[in-house]
Amino acid sequence: MTLFRVDTQINRPTAWILSWFLFVAGISLYFYTSQKRHLENPEDKVVPGLTQLGQGISDAFLKSDADDQSATGDGFFHSMLWTDTVASGKRFLWAMLLLIPAVVLGLHMGMFPVVGQFFLRFILFFDKIIALSVLPVLFIAFGIDELAKIMLIVIGVTPTIILDCFNLTKSVPQEQIVKGFTLGAKDFGVTYRIVLKQILPRVLNSIRLNLKAVMLFLFAGEMIASQDGLAFRIALLRRHMGMNVIIPYVLWVALLLFLVDLTMRVANRRLHPWFREA
Amino acid sequence: MSELIGICGVEVEYPIHGHAPKKVLSGINVSIRQGELVTVCGKTGCGKSTMLRLILGAEKPTRGQVLIDGREHGRPDRDRGYVPQKYSLFPDRTVLDNITFGPTMERFWLFGKRKKELREEAFEYLRMTGLHESDAHKYPDQLSGGMQQRVAIAQALIMRPRILLMDEAFSALDPATRGDMQKLIRDLWARAGTTILFVTHNIAEAIYLGSRVLVLGKEQPEDGSRVLLDIEVTDSKQDRLTKLIENAVMCNQREMEVPA
Repeated sequence: MTLFRVDTQINRPTAWILSWFLFVAGISLYFYTSQKRHLENPEDKVVPGLTQLGQGISDAFLKSDADDQSATGDGFFHSMLWTDTVASGKRFLWAMLLLIPAVVLGLHMGMFPVVGQFFLRFILFFDKIIALSVLPVLFIAFGIDELAKIMLIVIGVTPTIILDCFNLTKSVPQEQIVKGFTLGAKDFGVTYRIVLKQILPRVLNSIRLNLKAVMLFLFAGEMIASQDGLAFRIALLRRHMGMNVIIPYVLWVALLLFLVDLTMRVANRRLHPWFREA
Repeated sequence: MSELIGICGVEVEYPIHGHAPKKVLSGINVSIRQGELVTVCGKTGCGKSTMLRLILGAEKPTRGQVLIDGREHGRPDRDRGYVPQKYSLFPDRTVLDNITFGPTMERFWLFGKRKKELREEAFEYLRMTGLHESDAHKYPDQLSGGMQQRVAIAQALIMRPRILLMDEAFSALDPATRGDMQKLIRDLWARAGTTILFVTHNIAEAIYLGSRVLVLGKEQPEDGSRVLLDIEVTDSKQDRLTKLIENAVMCNQREMEVPA
């Protein structure tokens, strides 16, 4: 069994087969189950077949929401998938923008002992609060509009990002900071032109790794109280057993998240050519 | 020559939770004149780097004073250049950007003529420290250890500091590169006359480089380190000088004169 040795050299075709095997197996298993269920019940909606999925994809990608009065016309940019993506995307972007102050706060906590002392204990406590447990409080405090959903994402993800930035700032060698002062930099020069520049690729990685958490909180907010958005649609279709649309939606969300992740990774590599991931 | 650095009755203790504070330095009195190249040696953990960090302003003494030009200085500033053993360069900047970092801190934006002049000056320092112009656009992790230290020296020198503090700057280098770097420092010192404090645990290096050698050590294990030897390096009596320094470093013996 030379294949299972720690020093096994894998050639290109084997690597390709290994990395795609589970995808192929999963898809095969799905269609096998679907076919079996359809033999027992041709109207089965739980595991839709290829034709049902095709219909669902066509409805989602090309038709507007029948309940939405403002949606007119057909085509991708009038489709319910597109309008839902835009609605969720706006919330997602707002949440991402609100992470910028979190990065700045974490940086300052790491650089300035007074700021660190002031915030650290509170943020550590805040980080332990389960964001979903305060959802009712958020809906009472901020209403069921956009703000509550964005606040849910902020409360869920911000403490992690702040603490990550704090730790990254602290990990910058003291020699670099001292060196900065000897080269004429002042406090903010050292903070922004030395430390921030050095931790930025790792901060971007940290945000990238938290994308799923951002989406999780976004989906929780949308599923509970929303009139549009990807999660709203999934929750709505669940009531009608619309698995032929839910499955394309789930895959679409995964694809979007993958693309955002990929974009951030490529941007990180381009913006920071000096950075080597550990 | 007038006194540039004065270390007067300095003691350094580090608090240890639940225990008596750890004494690192006690009763240090040293006067360094302008233009001297002083090497500080001693065993590992004897407080050489602490002494350098006190002069740098990165650390405060528990008791006593560190004076520069007769005045107490606060945090590190551009008068005191610093070349540490590790993390001497900013990894996110190319060689050229590392060297020009200091001058660009004076003004946030540099345009036209001034920018061109600064680049020229940076290239001059690059050549002076034995680097090629083709290295200018490389990142630090693309350079060898010796080249990185050359850039670090250029980066510090372009600021024209009054004092250059080097903390075991060559200890990670191979013997051949180390020899080149020692020669470079001697040449730069002879040319620019900058006051240099060079910390090393290598006795041969301390004698080769220094115009004066300080040996730090502890007479008793529980004590803080003191200056065991403070001696001018002359071309004659080099062998006896080596023996004397070795004796001080190895046996922690306090002797202030070269034996006949």
